[in-house]
Amino acid sequence: MERRPSGRSQARPPAAPLLDAYQPVPGVHDEMVDAAGNPRPAWAFFIDALERLGVDELSRRFGRADQYLRDAGVYYRVYDHRGEIEREWPLAHVPLLIAEDEWNGIAAGLVERADLYEEIVADIYGDGRLVRDGLLPAELVAASPEFLRPMVGTKPAGGRFLHFCAFELGRGPNGNWWVLGDRTQAPSGAGFALENRVATTRALSDIYGDMHVHRLAGFFRGFRDSLLAQADAGSRAAILTPGPHNETYFEHAYIARYLGMMLLEGEDLTVAGGRLMVRTVSGLKPVGVLWRRLDAAFSDPLEFNPESRIGTPGLAEALRRGSAIVVNALGSGILETRALLAFLPTIARALNGRELALPSIATWWCGQARERRHVRDNFERMMIGPALSTRLAFEDDGATVLGSALDADARAGLLERLERDGGSLVAQEAVKLSTTPVYVQGSLEPRPATLRVYLARTADGWTVMPGGFARIGFSLDPTAIAMQRGGQAADVWVVSDRPVPQDTLLPREGEEFRRNVPGSLPSRAAENLLWLGRYVERSEETVRILRAYHVRLAETSDPDLPLLAYVRDSLAPYGIDVGEAIPDALVASLDSAVYSAGRIRDRFSPDGWLALRDLSKTIHDFEERITPGDDATRAMTVLLRKLAGFSGLLHENMYRFTGWRFLEIGRRIERGIQMSRSLGRLTTKAAPDGALDMMLEIGDSVLTHRRQYNVRSGRRTVLDLLALDPLNPRSLLFQLDRLKSEVELLPGGSPSNMTAATKEVLRLHTALAVREPADLTPETLDGLVDGLSRVYDELARFYFA
Amino acid sequence: MEYDIRLKLSYDYDAPVGGGRHQVRVAPRTLAGQQRVVAASVDFAPRPAERSDFADFFGNPVTAIAYRDPHDELDVRMSARVTVTRPQPGIDLSPAPGELRSEILAVRSLGAETPHHFLAASRHAPLDEAITDFARACLSPPTSTFGLAEALCRLIHEEFVYDGDATTVSTKAVEAFQLRSGVCQDFSHVMIAGLRGLGVPAGYVSGFLRTIPPVGQPRLEGADAMHAWVRVWCGRDAGWREFDPTNGILAGNDHITVGYGRDYGDVAPIVGVLKMTGGQAIRHAVDVVPVG
Repeated sequence: MERRPSGRSQARPPAAPLLDAYQPVPGVHDEMVDAAGNPRPAWAFFIDALERLGVDELSRRFGRADQYLRDAGVYYRVYDHRGEIEREWPLAHVPLLIAEDEWNGIAAGLVERADLYEEIVADIYGDGRLVRDGLLPAELVAASPEFLRPMVGTKPAGGRFLHFCAFELGRGPNGNWWVLGDRTQAPSGAGFALENRVATTRALSDIYGDMHVHRLAGFFRGFRDSLLAQADAGSRAAILTPGPHNETYFEHAYIARYLGMMLLEGEDLTVAGGRLMVRTVSGLKPVGVLWRRLDAAFSDPLEFNPESRIGTPGLAEALRRGSAIVVNALGSGILETRALLAFLPTIARALNGRELALPSIATWWCGQARERRHVRDNFERMMIGPALSTRLAFEDDGATVLGSALDADARAGLLERLERDGGSLVAQEAVKLSTTPVYVQGSLEPRPATLRVYLARTADGWTVMPGGFARIGFSLDPTAIAMQRGGQAADVWVVSDRPVPQDTLLPREGEEFRRNVPGSLPSRAAENLLWLGRYVERSEETVRILRAYHVRLAETSDPDLPLLAYVRDSLAPYGIDVGEAIPDALVASLDSAVYSAGRIRDRFSPDGWLALRDLSKTIHDFEERITPGDDATRAMTVLLRKLAGFSGLLHENMYRFTGWRFLEIGRRIERGIQMSRSLGRLTTKAAPDGALDMMLEIGDSVLTHRRQYNVRSGRRTVLDLLALDPLNPRSLLFQLDRLKSEVELLPGGSPSNMTAATKEVLRLHTALAVREPADLTPETLDGLVDGLSRVYDELARFYFA
Repeated sequence: MEYDIRLKLSYDYDAPVGGGRHQVRVAPRTLAGQQRVVAASVDFAPRPAERSDFADFFGNPVTAIAYRDPHDELDVRMSARVTVTRPQPGIDLSPAPGELRSEILAVRSLGAETPHHFLAASRHAPLDEAITDFARACLSPPTSTFGLAEALCRLIHEEFVYDGDATTVSTKAVEAFQLRSGVCQDFSHVMIAGLRGLGVPAGYVSGFLRTIPPVGQPRLEGADAMHAWVRVWCGRDAGWREFDPTNGILAGNDHITVGYGRDYGDVAPIVGVLKMTGGQAIRHAVDVVPVG
């Protein structure tokens, strides 16, 4: 492929409709063009390339990026009056380009800042010199909910508080970058930055390939290796998530999958003998490094927020004893306090002996008389908000207001509060953020942007992700950047003049491959996998029965036909009402499968997850419109095909390790239970005519039966084939064969030292294997249902408790 | 005064609970020049799988315990011998509340005894305009910080009705204030919220109170309960002074201190997380017996 150096001006093509129509806002810095309207050097090649593609091709390509995001299942959660909903990821397709030289300046400034923050947080929880020397008001620290008293005096394991930080930057009209806010608690978005990159390069792969854009993978690899290296021998590195209801859960699962680390929720962890442990199916295993995506206040209900249901009791005590390295240490969130920015310049001068290379946005804490006066005198151009807020001024749900935007009453009220309770307020100079182009219906339009940059600590010090995550407003209003309010996200390309290292997450040639300690499936994940197997299987068996019912209903149109009435009455006790084409019980069973899968998304390929979501969407759609009889027959066939597709994805693609075993066990238990019930129902002598044929159909064994027995279906042949034939994947014996193999391979399940579950399976297996079809009464089949339920109970007691 | 103090907390669970973890703050603490613990012990039945004893941020003794096996009851027993010799209240050296702010700002430390921790709203003592206004009434005629606290302590004692059924342990100051009734915990929270609203640092004290039976009647075994009162930072020179709004008095040698905190949440006798399916019945008994 032809390689062109970027950053060098190309001869402009004769027509440049995109660029010509682009109208930056006067008095605002634009990222793409200078004041004269000429492309900046980093953008010149890129914009030429866009022009050459033309509008139709661009629209087609950007559509491809959106399709990728949909296929990959990238979403985030938003909360509104309807509750929480999943939203498609709002990618702004045009990346933000930054020249390497300029980027290096930003990176150096942020490393300096991260080092300073490490010193500050260590001092707040340690010596207290900053307060003693009057560089930081004690009152401000003490009032912050992020000042975690139980952690005072604790030096974190590994010696550092901060390991992973993000900084939010904006560029002002004079072209200089400012830090708008600091994320030190549990910064989000690094995984989305990766997805932005993948999606954007899907659309612009040729341009990306022709330019020297820094890759992101090396940053993640370095951080992962550093985390794994810090976990002491035998302990694990894991990611702690608040769970599927968190707005960025997708990202937690994505990062866990990408880095090959366990994704845990608070209840997966426990403390034993002062050590932090994960509950796994092989017992308690030590956790040495915990990358938390959970705010500290929720992390331990015993010592922080007692209302937290997502924490780990005893965590704070274990950490005081230095049991694990936490990224970032509990208490680091105090650095996000907005009013702290007011003291940063003085602290930097005192500790570093110089000004910060990359300054923060001008900030005044109104708890001091002189600062209060300044804010009052410059009220119009101040963004005034809560001093202790840890959110950015433009995304705190209106808690922060611009002086000039207030009416007379609001203004008087705020001025009065400033005098009475200034300590609760902080003011920041309102900045006009720079604009960057977005593609809107065939043209480029300027929108305000902020830039989120990530830093990770490695053995060699801080590394900066060469790129990041740009947030783009949906209008020219700079407060419209927050994603919760319709803002967009864009990829960030750091453009070099020279070729850049081609990095991936895989080890470089000749490099040792570092692997996380395997073989420790968290108990909660195991339980969810088992139930996923059960719910999917339960859904399938129900669909099979319903199809057999509706195909007969379609033929006769008489629901009171003896066989149909019999099926109706025998399903009723299980909550299945055949009068509804799509019974609620079936919808509930599929919803439960989605719920179970949703709690273990890190263990799924995106394909598996999408297949399941598609199933769920289909059945909810069917529920609205399908009618009994022929319509329902066809709907059931569609559902069966989709269920088979999902099962196929799982069973063809899942690594055959402990997780898969639990899924398989769940599936076999459920199929055994469902088949026993159907056989009991349809092979009893009391069943109406046609029941045996229906049973063969439900058991997907019509053809086999015809081939094997060459007779009309009789009770014995049906039971022989569906209960006792070890080669029929739907037979009861087959389920027990599979169960026996899998339970013996579970941790602690070896035949020499059998678990209660293994014994129960063996007992059931032996009892069934020696039976003749004639011995299989409804009572024996009921006994099998009970036996399989006991197998589940024993497994739950042993592995999930 | 010297006391023998015994406390028993009993939890009966309807269904066995599967393990659990607790932090217990029931033992008196030694306070230089005010209170000396001669001996103290905290014991549990059944025996916990893990136990550790430490001091929290505010210096309160804490016992952390963990159970791994199912159990259907939990007994906590504390016994201690304590000597209380509070200094006599001297002359009032506290500044007017309006002058307190500059003295607070001059304290450049985050130590547990500094006033900074006791100014902001806290979980059980949120700032509330009505409570602040209620407290502000104690500012006229003009008085010192100590005078303000003493007046507010007396006002709460006079206007509030002691009623153990009006509130629960999770009741916040605002609710108790609206009801004008509650127990020692509620009165303390109202007083704390009122003082903080006026910029006066105020904290929560948990402890025991020696109760003196009516003349001619015997002291009833186990009739006492844990008590709560308020500490107020009255400036650089006067320091922390303690007030008991439940009884409308200054804390004296009948007040035995267990813990200091911003509110009840910091010093709750027992906090715990249990895997629990049913309800529980709680009983507690306290005896404070003067020695000699």
